[in-house]
Amino acid sequence: MAILKDFQALQNLYTATREQIQKEPNFAEGAEISAPTEKEVRIVLKNYGRIDPENIENYIGEKGYLALLLCLKKYQPEQVIDVIKNSGLRGRGGAGFPTGRKWELARNSKGSPKYIICNADEGDPGAFMNRKVLEDDPHAVLEGMAIAGYAIGAEHGFIYCRAEYPKAVKMMRKAIEDASQYGLLGKSILGSDFCFKVEVRMGAGAFVCGEETALMASIEGFRGEPRPRPPFPAVSGLWGQPTNINNVETFANVPQIILNGPEWYAAIGTSGSKGTKTFALAGDVNHTGLIEIPFGLTLREIVFEVGGGIKNNKQFKAIQTGGPMGGCLPEQFLDTVVDYENLSAVGSIMGSGGMIVMDEDTCMVDIARFFMDFIQEESCGKCTPCRLGTYQMLQILTNICEGKGEAGDIETLERLSEVTRLNSLCGLGQGAPNPVDSTLRHFRSEYEAHIFEKKCPANICRALIRYEIIENQCTGCMVCARNCPVTAIEGIKKEPHVIDPEICIKCGICQNVCLFKAVDRVS
Amino acid sequence: MINLTINDRLVTVESGFTVLEAARQNEIYIPTLCYHPDLTPHGGCRLCNVQVKGARTPLAACTLPVSEGLVVVTDNEEIHAARKSILELLFSNYYQAKPARADDELLKLADEFHIDYKKFQRSEPHFEPDSDPNPVIRVDLNQCILCTRCIRACAEIQGRFVWGLVERGIATHLSAGDGVPLLEARCESCGACAVYCPTGALQDRFADNDLIVDKKVMTTCAYCGVGCNFDLNIHNDEVVRVTSNPDAKVNGLHLCVKGRYGFDYIHHSDRLLKPMVRQYLLADSEKPAKVSSSPWVEIDWDTVYSLIATKMVAIKQGFGSDAIGLLSSAKCTNEENYLMNKFARQVIGTHNIDHCARLCHSSTVAGLATAFGSGAMSNTMQDIYDHARAIFIIGSNITEQHPVFGAKIRQAVLQRKTKLIVADPRRIDITEFATIHLQHRPGTDIPLLNGLMHILIKNGQQNTQFIEDRCLNYDEFAEVVETYTPEIVSQITGVTVELLYQAAEVMAENHPMAVFWAMGITQHTTGVLNVFTLANLQMLLGNMGIPGGGVNPLRGQNNVQGACDQGALPDVFPGYQKVIDPAARSKFEQAWHLGPIEVASEPTMKQMPGLTVTEMISKAGEGVLKALYIMAEDPLMTEPDLNHAKACLQKCEFVILQEIFPTETSEIADIMLPGVTFAEKDGTFTNTERRVQRVRQAISTRGESKPDWVILQEVARAIIELEKRTYIGEFSTWDYHHPAQIMDEIAALTPSYRGVSFARLDAGEQLHWPVKDKYHDGTPILHVKSFSNGKGIFHPTEHIPARELPDHEYPFMLTTGRVLYHWHGGEMTRRTNALLELYPQALIEISPEDSALYGIENDRMIKVASRRGEVTAKAIISERVSQGLIFANFHFPQEQNANLLTISALDPVAKIPEYKICAVKLAVVG
Repeated sequence: MAILKDFQALQNLYTATREQIQKEPNFAEGAEISAPTEKEVRIVLKNYGRIDPENIENYIGEKGYLALLLCLKKYQPEQVIDVIKNSGLRGRGGAGFPTGRKWELARNSKGSPKYIICNADEGDPGAFMNRKVLEDDPHAVLEGMAIAGYAIGAEHGFIYCRAEYPKAVKMMRKAIEDASQYGLLGKSILGSDFCFKVEVRMGAGAFVCGEETALMASIEGFRGEPRPRPPFPAVSGLWGQPTNINNVETFANVPQIILNGPEWYAAIGTSGSKGTKTFALAGDVNHTGLIEIPFGLTLREIVFEVGGGIKNNKQFKAIQTGGPMGGCLPEQFLDTVVDYENLSAVGSIMGSGGMIVMDEDTCMVDIARFFMDFIQEESCGKCTPCRLGTYQMLQILTNICEGKGEAGDIETLERLSEVTRLNSLCGLGQGAPNPVDSTLRHFRSEYEAHIFEKKCPANICRALIRYEIIENQCTGCMVCARNCPVTAIEGIKKEPHVIDPEICIKCGICQNVCLFKAVDRVS
Repeated sequence: MINLTINDRLVTVESGFTVLEAARQNEIYIPTLCYHPDLTPHGGCRLCNVQVKGARTPLAACTLPVSEGLVVVTDNEEIHAARKSILELLFSNYYQAKPARADDELLKLADEFHIDYKKFQRSEPHFEPDSDPNPVIRVDLNQCILCTRCIRACAEIQGRFVWGLVERGIATHLSAGDGVPLLEARCESCGACAVYCPTGALQDRFADNDLIVDKKVMTTCAYCGVGCNFDLNIHNDEVVRVTSNPDAKVNGLHLCVKGRYGFDYIHHSDRLLKPMVRQYLLADSEKPAKVSSSPWVEIDWDTVYSLIATKMVAIKQGFGSDAIGLLSSAKCTNEENYLMNKFARQVIGTHNIDHCARLCHSSTVAGLATAFGSGAMSNTMQDIYDHARAIFIIGSNITEQHPVFGAKIRQAVLQRKTKLIVADPRRIDITEFATIHLQHRPGTDIPLLNGLMHILIKNGQQNTQFIEDRCLNYDEFAEVVETYTPEIVSQITGVTVELLYQAAEVMAENHPMAVFWAMGITQHTTGVLNVFTLANLQMLLGNMGIPGGGVNPLRGQNNVQGACDQGALPDVFPGYQKVIDPAARSKFEQAWHLGPIEVASEPTMKQMPGLTVTEMISKAGEGVLKALYIMAEDPLMTEPDLNHAKACLQKCEFVILQEIFPTETSEIADIMLPGVTFAEKDGTFTNTERRVQRVRQAISTRGESKPDWVILQEVARAIIELEKRTYIGEFSTWDYHHPAQIMDEIAALTPSYRGVSFARLDAGEQLHWPVKDKYHDGTPILHVKSFSNGKGIFHPTEHIPARELPDHEYPFMLTTGRVLYHWHGGEMTRRTNALLELYPQALIEISPEDSALYGIENDRMIKVASRRGEVTAKAIISERVSQGLIFANFHFPQEQNANLLTISALDPVAKIPEYKICAVKLAVVG
């Protein structure tokens, strides 16, 4: 291996290695990514299963770093920004801010040095889009960062990756080392004037560090707490210097846009949202896992075609997009087109790509409680509404689930939701009420049933349900009685059994072990 | 300027303002909790959220920068409701276990928003209500609202980073260090966190007294020379608390642990409340060989005055005026020091007057006066903070001895990115903030500095223009420095050549640079030469006469600058008018002129300077000095080689001690006169930066004690009457009813204080002397266009080893100093509960290497012996000292006092003892 001293050297290496790349990707059985279904388009995940992520020459054989070469050779930084602007690429971290404009702000910002940060602090429960890119195509991220560095005039980049992703950290470090050895990072890249180095910084498991200002505080060595904006990072970011921060997926799109042109990219997607989006499809669908779809599919297409429909032929109840601060949408929104505008129009968000499908056996109050529990625990505690508003909401939701709901709780939730949404410092607090708001809006009757009838319509909330044996279905096989951990079930062999509600701890084992579907859960 | 609209009003403010600042400047009220003007805005409480046109959500006014055309609404129904909800949320996680303090900002807001907080607060405490053992700060996290003002105060004011947040969500809470008691988290108990706390979560344990405070009196601190101002809180004629006052010019709300919490000595039961005499004096019998064998007897003032007058006049008659010595005090006011100087020179007729400045900065005064014509600190603390690009601290443990200014230097490094070079044989606290720490061997300051200047000159980095225009004797100086090559210097000092080059580079590249020093420079047999060398450095770099530069000796005592200014020195009258100058002599002779003594005739004022304190002690030992009048000093704690000093003073025929407590010196005293503390008198102190500040009486005097100025006046009158002398000169009388009159007399006779008056000070004027007349604003920076003596003079200096260095028998080097929690001889701080609890006994610092060698663990009793005495105290193993070096303090009496070990070798010019170096040996006790 020799350092690639100039543009030609990289071209030559590409020519020498491109034949080694297998044309058809391998998808191992049970992998987190399967072969794309008909509706999918793969740009970010394009190299998955085709290249060895630890082999930089594999990446180069896939036109790797040719986008960087093109930028250095042919484009002024402003032209790179124009390409990105024309492509319509929007930030994949969740807010969807136009990437080209963000770069332009950082480029025009006075001050030196400037920094590039890759936000790899993927904290949404169940989401792993970024992890797969970091693990399986690390050079695409590095190349995107280097191009961004060239565009805004930064020579130093940081990848802020959560420590819970040890393999991603390892892959990125290896990629940085290799790219530096090949002269694709470091001083005078490919013989040009452009210098760019990248470091990996590990987060310590705080969800809020995915928020860009908290992330920067964390890199600086402070507690991960968000800072007020303005000033925005483009003006005053890391160590008070102009900083451009993008998500892993955003950076991974960049080389493809440069190579294929902005028109190619802009042709994919909807009028306001261009290109593709990766999602971690989870919950009660038949095909869970990572998907990449062009903007413009409907939720229904995602759930029933890409996801293969609801498991066990149950009824669809709701879909939650955008991670814990996303909204839960009921069936009447299934024909919503998935893009930034439409999701927010119906009260949810794109987020970074979490997508959870819920079937009929889901209690929406319990779901709201679950997400609020997560958010409350992850609130950094800096601002009052987020720290205490979420706690108050969690208390009320817990009470409702436990059958201790009172008249007025819904109104209090609405008031707290508004105070928290409007007055919190960062997106975490501002988005925190979304699960409550959306479930209140679309599933209010479930709240009312819990509060006023002390019933959980989905039969989920343990305090509100009981197990009963259906007399005419029970064969008296005694399996349930034998398995009951608290011996709450009585009965003579071949006679219908009875559950003593005083002793029953509602663990549900009886229902699981009954071969005759004779145990019912009622509210 | 930026134009914006607040509540339909067009306002114009400076750019860089926040919306909150813009609103406040225009008297538009926005409630706040986490905001404090002294601290970096936080934006956490969200109480100051305002509506901004075009913004998605309300934004915090405290962090929102103003921008052109911004349209802001600060209050409406919606905003009010949100604020009320936020307050209710805060109360939902709050529990008030103790009655609220009067200035509780949170509860004031509860009133303002009509919130019955008891309805919202938690049903029971969720934290232990008094969870930290710190003796001065009470921690009750039940009242914490996580505004983080304490965290920011600790970081941005004290620079100590004790407080932080741990956990997340509802579990988020304040934590000292990693969940340890404050003191283990490196807390210095300055109390800043408690001052800035808007609730009762962190409060001063003395805050309980707030409810009973009758009045507050602003005065000047009686500890170090920084000269902080604060309010004495009075109840029933007693000081019950010290609170800081945002109007304090030197320190704002900041104070150190001694200033804020070290006040209860004022009411200590040891206070002298009546004059006392040894019984033998009343019995008219011979003085016993050991005067302490004669018991103390309480006596009335008239009798004691007549006793003193009789005795003093007899000694004057028998042995001449110069058989009497007077020790004035850096703890007393300018007015009292002036009177002691007048008493010595007019009533007694001697120049044998001195005070503890001899033991701290006499070498500074001598050195700087020779080099520049003025012996004082040339710049102010604030101009240095604002302008210095580099700060060089040599021989000053600044964060412990001048804590409020030490904290300011930490902030200069943190916030202004000032480069800091520290030269100190010990790894003192401030080295944590240093760009470079030069850990040179004790007593090698001259080679170290010459070595640095050698490099600067070799690199052509000297300020040639400045040297040519303003200095003399450069060539002779440069010739000597030439010989101090980095290699030789490295050998002598133990500092690597590489570090010398790095330090020189920082000095060369960061102009202006301010130099600070204290006892580490002055308390050497080469004290004056050390000071010359620092003066050379600042001339070489052209750092004189400009903001952010200068030579800055940090004065130790509250009024050591003033005591020197007022002529409490054997060679100068007030304002450094020289005794050897016939014009000055004649001026004071005339001003103070008394009619002839009928009983004996003395010549006019002596032409030669009198004895220094160190000389008085040896003269007493020789039997030459017969009487000593000591005002508020404790030589038997603070003199070097105490065994010898005591032996000498025991030979003195008549010793008067004017004090607030019986001290170690009481043992050899014949008479004790009860003086008062700073809280019981009026006057002025002059701080380290020549700023004259008011001391205000806050309580009446205790028992029969009297202010020192009153006692001096009455003693003077008694002697003058006994001698039947008449008052002739314009300022010959002793008829003062208030210290303001004394200051008027000082002003009349002292050019540098000519414009100082109580009226100006009470009007809030900040006067740094020289104040040339009553219209002059004072002189914050000295030597601006020219030096006080015209041109600055380079003095070539050479390395002279310390008098006593370690040898085979005494293999360790001992260096002495002070600690944060105590003050000099400790007479006040050892009588302050909190300070004694924080630091109850002397600790001897010993390096980890030596402790391993001797098998010494922490807290083990060890015995340290020199050729002159021995000390037994607890060991503390510390990386602050390097192998072979031992550090001990002189705050605790008897066998714990390091001055039993120190050597009385003197600087030949300044007569300052070499406290900083002597040879000792070490043994484990038991």
